[in-house]
Amino acid sequence: MSSSKVAIGSDIGQARRTVEQLRMEAGIDRVKVSKAATDLLQFCMEQAKSDPFLVGIPAATNPFKEKKPCVIL
Amino acid sequence: MDQTFLVNVFGSCDKCFKKRALRPVFKKSQQLSYCSTCAEIMATDGLHENETLASLKSEAETLKGKLEEERAKLHDVELHQVAERVEALGQFVMKTRRTLKGHGNKVLCMDWCKDKRRIVSSSQDGKVIVWDSFTTNKEHAVTMPCTWVMACAYAPSGCAIACGGLDNKCSVYPLTFDKNENMAAKKKSVAMHTNYLSACSFTNSDMQILTASGDGTCALWDVESGQLLQSFHGHGADVLCLDLAPSETGNTFVSGGCDKKAMVWDMRSGQCVQAFETHESDVNSVRYYPSGDAFASGSDDATCRLYDLRADREVAIYSKESIIFGASSVDFSLSGRLLFAGYNDYTINVWDVLKGSRVSILFGHENRVSTLRVSPDGTAFCSGSWDHTLRVWA
Repeated sequence: MSSSKVAIGSDIGQARRTVEQLRMEAGIDRVKVSKAATDLLQFCMEQAKSDPFLVGIPAATNPFKEKKPCVIL
Repeated sequence: MDQTFLVNVFGSCDKCFKKRALRPVFKKSQQLSYCSTCAEIMATDGLHENETLASLKSEAETLKGKLEEERAKLHDVELHQVAERVEALGQFVMKTRRTLKGHGNKVLCMDWCKDKRRIVSSSQDGKVIVWDSFTTNKEHAVTMPCTWVMACAYAPSGCAIACGGLDNKCSVYPLTFDKNENMAAKKKSVAMHTNYLSACSFTNSDMQILTASGDGTCALWDVESGQLLQSFHGHGADVLCLDLAPSETGNTFVSGGCDKKAMVWDMRSGQCVQAFETHESDVNSVRYYPSGDAFASGSDDATCRLYDLRADREVAIYSKESIIFGASSVDFSLSGRLLFAGYNDYTINVWDVLKGSRVSILFGHENRVSTLRVSPDGTAFCSGSWDHTLRVWA
């Protein structure tokens, strides 16, 4: 029975796959955090005016907020 | 928004010369392009010259060290430092505007319809319910053959829903308004895993579904035929969550699992392109930043974190000493400035993504918050809880 060979074969396969994967990950192009952070910020600022949670939607147009009727005292 | 790190070469394999999707392989330090079949054969060959199991393992360790070094080189500043010049956020008034009652047990998952109004939710009691969140009326209900329906999703067309859990499957139900039709009769089984289904999501059409499972894999399926289109192996334990990249940024998705890792995958090749292992416990939830250049995660280690894909590292941690319970579910507001996170201590914390501070804490649920999604137009978000209810906040 070559079961031990098969087991070793898959251990080697696993180890080789791990090394391949790490080689690939180590080799990708990266950007400095300062640049990446600035871009995240910029996106946020540009989109801020269309973000209902930041800008606020008046109760009249937000379907989830009740329209409070006027109470005449 | 170029993603230079995607592995999506298509061409002639260097070994068999067939036209396939190719991935890089290294043979004696030379880089070649093999199709996945030849790569697999090469990986399981006997030992090559000068190679032992021990040498491969030590090479792996060296590479891990190199990876950390490369990432550290670019860590020149923190996100919150860059965000110092940004105006602080004002006070937020967010309240429960609707409470959806009807599930008989813990709510485990929910999803919004693209119409910004309908919601699908699934529960431990085996029921999947479609609600009109404006009126709180139930429009459809189906009983699954299993309990613990841990995943549910709305189809982009709004005409179907997908769900699954302890049955190890993901099934699609077309939604019909014909009172005479039984929803369960038109059920279509699409995905088959060898352990529970933890998450599912339609891609940008009704035709394909991405699933995550307790069997440690993710998979992409064709809805019509039930055929497996691609499988994603790499997590060392149960995969708990996934999120697709915003459609403009390409064919990738991120997954999180019990192995404490968050992994980014290329949907076409099945390869993991980036992996992040900074959480100290299970990663329960992952969600892309609206630009597609980053993603947030929520974990049992009581923190949420932000990972930037271009810098290839964690760039922010959202935590407080007073928060000691796991975060189960996270989602961004439309601009990405706010991160809503549901926790196992029954609360929802709202974080300023850029500055790293908490801006609000929301009370209301009477048990763990298990699921949370912002509506498609960003006007509200919905949370589901083990207290059997869903709440819509605005």
